[in-house]
Amino acid sequence: MSLNITVNGTSRTVNAEPLTPLLHVLREELDVLSPKAGCQNGGCGTCTVLVDGEPRRSCLIPISAVEGAEIRTVEGLAPPGQLSTLQEAWIHHYAAQCGFCTSGFLMAATAYLENGGSDDHAEIATALGGHVCRCTGYVKILDAISAAARGDSFDLTTTAAGLRTTIKGVDQ
Amino acid sequence: MKAVGARLPRYDANEHVSAGTRYVDDVRIPGTLWAKALRSPHDHAEIVSIDTSAAEAMEGVHAVVTYKDVHKNIHGHIEGLGVPGDEPLLAETHVRYKGQPVAAVAADNEELAVRATEAIKVTYKELPSLLDVRKAFDGDAPQVHHWGNWYPHFEGEMDRRQIRKGDIDKAFEDADVIVQGVYRPAAIEHIPMETQVCQVVPEAGGRFVVYSATQAMYFSMGVVAAHLNWPLNKLKFVGGTTGGGFGGKVDTATETITTLLAIKSHRPVRWRWTRMEEFLCSSTRAPWHMEIADAVTKDGWILGRKMLTLHDAGAFARFSPYGVTKHAFHHTGAYTIPNLEFNGFVVYTNRIPTTAMRGFGVTSVSFATETHIERIAQTLGMDPIELRMKNATRLGDTSPNGIPYVDPSTVPVIQAISNAAGFELPAHYRTMTSAMRSGEDLPAHLVAQMGNPEDH
Repeated sequence: MSLNITVNGTSRTVNAEPLTPLLHVLREELDVLSPKAGCQNGGCGTCTVLVDGEPRRSCLIPISAVEGAEIRTVEGLAPPGQLSTLQEAWIHHYAAQCGFCTSGFLMAATAYLENGGSDDHAEIATALGGHVCRCTGYVKILDAISAAARGDSFDLTTTAAGLRTTIKGVDQ
Repeated sequence: MKAVGARLPRYDANEHVSAGTRYVDDVRIPGTLWAKALRSPHDHAEIVSIDTSAAEAMEGVHAVVTYKDVHKNIHGHIEGLGVPGDEPLLAETHVRYKGQPVAAVAADNEELAVRATEAIKVTYKELPSLLDVRKAFDGDAPQVHHWGNWYPHFEGEMDRRQIRKGDIDKAFEDADVIVQGVYRPAAIEHIPMETQVCQVVPEAGGRFVVYSATQAMYFSMGVVAAHLNWPLNKLKFVGGTTGGGFGGKVDTATETITTLLAIKSHRPVRWRWTRMEEFLCSSTRAPWHMEIADAVTKDGWILGRKMLTLHDAGAFARFSPYGVTKHAFHHTGAYTIPNLEFNGFVVYTNRIPTTAMRGFGVTSVSFATETHIERIAQTLGMDPIELRMKNATRLGDTSPNGIPYVDPSTVPVIQAISNAAGFELPAHYRTMTSAMRSGEDLPAHLVAQMGNPEDH
């Protein structure tokens, strides 16, 4: 079938079987590569994109279910060469290690912030509960989203990571 | 020295947050085929026949490979270090673990590749399987390999990694208490967010470009070249971007089979494992079975240790002999034990081959030895930190294999930990340093083991 979706503000026409996952269409047909194929089972969150503003696992959504929808991915978070506050927070707080889960986290966190989410770690953890980071950098991810929620400004030539974990009597 | 002490952001953070990082699965080469493997459904079976004709006849299937297509099918990951090859790239006469690759295909798309593997007919004769290292030495245990159930090539001819130090019998005669424990850390799957993945592209002049998610690029290059019997200059590896590995991408899991398919099909080929394959067929951290018996005095000196280690290699050796060697070296932990009898076996089972994970061979033995220290402390009714300080490795003490330590750090580390935890050490241990033993820190039983750090 032929259908239209809007990807990061650009209208795209797609020819695909109705049950083809949105993830497959984005990656293999449209070369939108930020959503990753982590489990293709809805279990890890790394394929998360925004569908009309809501975070959705693109590996589980058939393309026919998003006809006419507005899809947003990391490629659309900021104009080329620029970064959103959240992306800057991610860099400054060392929230990406291998980076493979980052795209999904960023999109879920973007929706959280756009919906007025607070800097409370427990609230953030609940909102992003289904996302897996196997480098297990969760505290830094919480720090980054929290800082973006507060509207902190960031010095990208340095990192805040580790500063809060000073152990008494041990030089850091 | 611009980096030491500086708080630098990650060099790749900007690309990670802005969709600029190109992982292997993001490489786009026109005309790329999808690879899939047909894997063993059995833990252990003899292969009676393999018929690939139906798969080869399918439209859109461009290559089917079996062991017959591999120049040197049986290879070992560390043959260069003297560990003989024992693992076929594609199963030949037997399958020895569930999930072992038997054949592989390259097809126009993923779905077709799956159907092609399903069209390959393999007849198996099932064999009894060995899944518990503790049963490997029983007379009636199923045999994983024709040479037996444990690795026989340490130092060329030893069936174990062994250490004998001091006079173990005297240590046990002199002991007030024998403290015993069994420790069994389980297998762990690394579960990187990015599954095993590889993209191979034929280039001009018969050269092949291999985009690899490996953690060990030049090593993987050597493994591929060895299977193909090719010089290294026919392979160009592109790597360095890995979506999580944690040790699970040290083994060469995808590169050789994908290259083989690209050679046979004359097309670019991509092989990306499913999450289920990652769980069921990729290597794990080894499960270990460890038994410790320590000869201990009432006042907390550890006079001697007997230790047995059974390292579950899974079906093939891979890096396991190296893991057990590290384990043997570290089996006294951060402490000095002068009399030792250590036996470490690499045991084969009909399980997925096991590999490195975050401190290969050391994390498992540290778990056992540190837990055992706590057990000794409980048995003696002694403070476990004092027990650690008493037996801490000092300058001039020797490692299990007799090498004098030149920069031991047990003492300052325990002091810093105690400080951070708010635990006040007794005065003697608060002021202790790593200096060579003397006075009450040098009881008679520790004299003979000492060496000269200057000799090292």
